[in-house]
Amino acid sequence: MQALDLDVRNATYERFVALGRAPTIREVAAATGRDGDAVRASWRRLHDAHALVLSPGTDELRMANPFSAVPTAYRVHARERWWYANCAWDAFGVCAALHADGRIETSCPDCGEPLAIEVRDGRPDREDLLFHCLVPAARWWEDIVFT
Amino acid sequence: MNLFRSEEHVARWLGDRPPGATIGAALLCELAHAWWGDRLAPDWRPRTRDANQAILDGLGLTGPFWRLPLPAS
Repeated sequence: MQALDLDVRNATYERFVALGRAPTIREVAAATGRDGDAVRASWRRLHDAHALVLSPGTDELRMANPFSAVPTAYRVHARERWWYANCAWDAFGVCAALHADGRIETSCPDCGEPLAIEVRDGRPDREDLLFHCLVPAARWWEDIVFT
Repeated sequence: MNLFRSEEHVARWLGDRPPGATIGAALLCELAHAWWGDRLAPDWRPRTRDANQAILDGLGLTGPFWRLPLPAS
């Protein structure tokens, strides 16, 4: 990964956390001192390298994993802010990435029962819930949004 | 990649689809911290496929289901 793309990638994540939402190309351009076309090209290379995910057919962020740029069924409260995560794994990942305690809220996909987990010092407060991964690891990136 | 109340709920949700892999919330939390803990580090670098596989293996997530694809040669 070239230095330009690392710089853009790191600025994208820094802006995401600072703003509490996905940054725009313009915001990342301002943060890195580059023009929008350079950031757009970097984002496309980073998407191809699985370092972030763009919405299909657009130059808009869909994921800066574990963070989601769009609302999902996995909400995480950490660092006094609500975040969306891409999946259950990423919901715990938001706490991990922020190095913060947090509260995960979602619902059972089967019955719709609301579920909440507190994460304290890297541990969940309940261990009865189960994580199911439908897609094998070899195919996670074939369709990362579905995965 | 979802959280469920129990195995019964996983099975009902799956219906006729073949199951994937199921692990407990504690192991998932451990996996998430190993996988995503470096994501905001200023010196972050892309992790290799082998390094990612080592995280899975180290947590006992072994077997064909958890094998990451080999890089295209």
